[in-house]
Amino acid sequence: MDKKTVANIAYLSRLKLNSDNEEKITSDLENIIKFVDQLDDVNVENIAPLTSPLEKTAKTRSDEVTAKNRKDVFLERAPKSNEDYFLVPRVVE
Amino acid sequence: MSIQYKTIAELRSMLDSKAISSKEIVEETFKLIDENNDLNAFITLNKEAAIAKSIEIENNPVKSALHGIPIAQKDLFCTKDLRTTCGSNILSNFIPPYSATVIENLENAGCISVGKTNMDEFAMGSSNETSFFGGVRNPWGQNLVPGGSSGGSASAVAAGLVPAATGTDTGGSIRQPASLCGITGLKPTYGRISRWGMIAFASSLDQAGPMARTAEDCAIMLNEMCSHDFKDTTSLSEDVPDFTKDLDSSIKGLKIGIVKEFDMSKLDSDVVSVFEESKKHYESLGAEFIEVSLPNISLSVPAYYVVAPAECSSNLSRFDGVKFGHRSTDTINLEELYIKTRSEGFGDEVKRRILIGSYVLSAGFYDAYYKKAQQVRRLIKNDFDSAFKKVDVIMSPTTRGAAFETGSKGSDPIQMYLEDLFTIPANLAGLPAMSLPNGMVDNKPIGLQLIGNFLDEKKILQVAHSFQKSTDWHLKTPKGTKLS
Amino acid sequence: MSWETVIGLEIHVQLSTKSKLFSGGSTSFGAEPNTHVDLIDMGLPGVLPVANKEAFLKAIRFGLATNAVINQTSTFDRKNYFYPDLPKGYQITQMALPIVGEGSIKIEVDGVEKIINITRAHLEEDAGKSIHDLFEGETGVDLNRAGTPLLEIVSEPEISNAKEAVAYFKAIRQLVTFLDICDGNMAEGSMRCDVNVSIKKEGEEKLGTRAEIKNINSFKFIERAINHEVERQIRIIESGESVVQETRLYDSIKNETRSMRSKEEANDYRYFPCPDLLPVVITDEELNNIRNNLPELPKQKEKRYVSDNSLDIAEAKIIASSKTMANMFEEACLKTDDSKLVANWLVGDVSALLNKDGIDIDESKLTPDNFAKMVERISDDTISGKIAKSVLEEVWDSGSDVDEIIQKKGLVQIQDESLLEEIGQKIIDANPKQVEAFKSGKDRLFGFFVGQVMKETQGKASPKSVNEILRKLLS
Repeated sequence: MDKKTVANIAYLSRLKLNSDNEEKITSDLENIIKFVDQLDDVNVENIAPLTSPLEKTAKTRSDEVTAKNRKDVFLERAPKSNEDYFLVPRVVE
Repeated sequence: MSIQYKTIAELRSMLDSKAISSKEIVEETFKLIDENNDLNAFITLNKEAAIAKSIEIENNPVKSALHGIPIAQKDLFCTKDLRTTCGSNILSNFIPPYSATVIENLENAGCISVGKTNMDEFAMGSSNETSFFGGVRNPWGQNLVPGGSSGGSASAVAAGLVPAATGTDTGGSIRQPASLCGITGLKPTYGRISRWGMIAFASSLDQAGPMARTAEDCAIMLNEMCSHDFKDTTSLSEDVPDFTKDLDSSIKGLKIGIVKEFDMSKLDSDVVSVFEESKKHYESLGAEFIEVSLPNISLSVPAYYVVAPAECSSNLSRFDGVKFGHRSTDTINLEELYIKTRSEGFGDEVKRRILIGSYVLSAGFYDAYYKKAQQVRRLIKNDFDSAFKKVDVIMSPTTRGAAFETGSKGSDPIQMYLEDLFTIPANLAGLPAMSLPNGMVDNKPIGLQLIGNFLDEKKILQVAHSFQKSTDWHLKTPKGTKLS
Repeated sequence: MSWETVIGLEIHVQLSTKSKLFSGGSTSFGAEPNTHVDLIDMGLPGVLPVANKEAFLKAIRFGLATNAVINQTSTFDRKNYFYPDLPKGYQITQMALPIVGEGSIKIEVDGVEKIINITRAHLEEDAGKSIHDLFEGETGVDLNRAGTPLLEIVSEPEISNAKEAVAYFKAIRQLVTFLDICDGNMAEGSMRCDVNVSIKKEGEEKLGTRAEIKNINSFKFIERAINHEVERQIRIIESGESVVQETRLYDSIKNETRSMRSKEEANDYRYFPCPDLLPVVITDEELNNIRNNLPELPKQKEKRYVSDNSLDIAEAKIIASSKTMANMFEEACLKTDDSKLVANWLVGDVSALLNKDGIDIDESKLTPDNFAKMVERISDDTISGKIAKSVLEEVWDSGSDVDEIIQKKGLVQIQDESLLEEIGQKIIDANPKQVEAFKSGKDRLFGFFVGQVMKETQGKASPKSVNEILRKLLS
């Protein structure tokens, strides 16, 4: 869990650690990873991963349009918007 | 006639006999909440709407036991047009345009939502100390934590402000605070209660559940909370039984499992004696104790702390300042918008878990951590399946000890994680589990955990109810023992 | 130095379902921004996805038509990254177990056939749209498109040049339109493709480093982008440097590819199974149902047009090559027994107009309905074939209704026998010299009389009737 690794995953998560908490959180992360490393020694040969505790398959929906126009409801909750769009600082590709 | 510390069943009978009106109950509820403000159990109150509903409901037919009863809702459930924060700064101004299914179910049954309770931020915590809105006080002691993440709900019920509240449980967040606050709380089988409208922490572990003063009240709540919801494809389609029926069934001959690998020697001797007393009591009721082995159970906490953070790191990506919630001001480009918004919006525990989550899912680590943890999860589930071939329920203490002081878990997150040692396994396996008060340690309540087989909420409720019929731990309040 | 090009295409096909992949939001194109957005499409806290069965059924049609492995149990994964038009901060896709596995499709370039193998085709949700140029210093986000079902079709890197790439893209487009799973509308973005290009020395086994050119949505641009990119890579290697593995965008105005500014390369998508979606299972019964109800594909239509409509192979091939043209043919044949007539118009005048304008039939203003009507009016003698040509041109330019045009311009052909006889007799009386010359053997003069009647009637006389009547009068 070196600084570079932490910086990488922080960026992936769009988080920035500041001087107040960077050291503490880095050491916390190290400890947590050490803690979960207990899983290393377990033999899981031929064991399928469990994604959901439910042993069942999905119910699907039929192809119908059920949504109404709620543009106003959504845009009024947006931190920044005009009457039609959500707005973010200009993205350059 | 004070309504403080009354159960749903008691209030129901008062309402039915017209000894009191719903409006009076609700008004007194808000008075109690106000008087007990220092608990900081609530983030948002719903006073006007609640009182209006209590008046309106007087003329409606009584459809369920919850009709006209005030209930507190954990601030993790979306409530239409009522602020929902999840205990976080990033949602401190969020007004959902819709309500969670479980909220709708309860309100359709006639319950009156009095407010949103305080909680650990995004349900991550075991002491309600990570909330952006400040910690919650345990009514049992000035400086005690109520447990978490459903700390506000537990405190409100324990202080008798409301007869019941909703909570959510991902690694023990209903059961552990129930234990520390001396109340009864139940996490049903994964999928019993719809997750539509429940702000997601760890999708394959989260479940809503009732927190109340008795197993009977939990059963009443559960009846209304459970439903098959086509909007949540992980919700079960099995019929919802009447959980209040057959509560009185005898537990003679019941086989109760004690987990060999739960090392009691590590617990405080007081805690162990309380547990042993409960065992004796159950034996006197005709139950039989059998040792069961769950060989992989000690891997529960590490497996959980891979799976839950992984899922949460993804679930929390939607909080980006673009569509709703907090947005950092003064950001010059998109990257800054994301980074500043999220860094400002989330507390340290949430940040830790997101970082762990991103780490264990990242290229090169996925197999060693995430995939491995999911495989271990299956091992744990298999262990339970085998155990339930031999026993009807499994019993353990809910927590390692009673409520601890605020700030006492020090700065090591792992100390806090180990609070959930006994509760996590049931979440990993998706099994129903509950906590009921079974004693006192240092004048603080402590709880007993019952874990049931898949879909067997009825059994654990019966087992809890039979304990509560013949003991009075659940009648204790911070002000003394309630007359039953 | 002889270079070989290795190309793989990832084509994103927007499935023509009415609603989105995981919500009941509408997928229809061109709506006002943010009006087709459901709670689920917004990624609001607490919402959950529910899979649209129809998307699976459409994906399976593609799998069956490409002789592919169908994974009757398929699962969903989350692809995690941040972008303003990705509301949840992750895209739900199929990484581990896609609905369609390995298959193949035949392409033809300059008469030579080649099989291109397809690695997989999986379902995933589309993102919304980021509008960069409307607002000063800001980007607007429209989530209408967020959640639309996409079928991502991944080819093996078996394409060797730009022409093959275009042929492959066209073949896929033809297939998905005929299968009725996508409208194939490139202008609306119904099909987009990412092209992976690398080069290696001829005969070399090891593949070179590839660059990915993202989001190209026209045949022309695919060809240009590939050609440009190959040249770019050759230049780089020949100058002693190495090609960087990266994502590039094709700039159609400058005709060049450029590296994308975003830190895509730093992106680790951290795929993991989506815990909100359980595996989707398609039963044997459902699979057989789809198999037995697959829409007719081009080759099948060709055969049928030859056997049932008596078209010749060349005509049948042209008409069957495009879903729209095939539709036009079939709809028009419902209005008239004369399928040869219909075929002639499509293969003749309509094709000529398409060539002249350099467009695809989908881009023309001619609708199957209007075309059928035109053919019907010829068949029922309302207008003559010659008049029909001008009607077609009018429709081509304006898209107006055929009957409206005929009425407005008074193009109904004159068939009234007594009127025509009158006019014919008038012409004959006015031209005694020509009559004598004709009667004494100058057969070609017949055309003169016909011409005069036509002139007199502003071309509206029914040529058939005029012929009959003049023959009678001049006999």
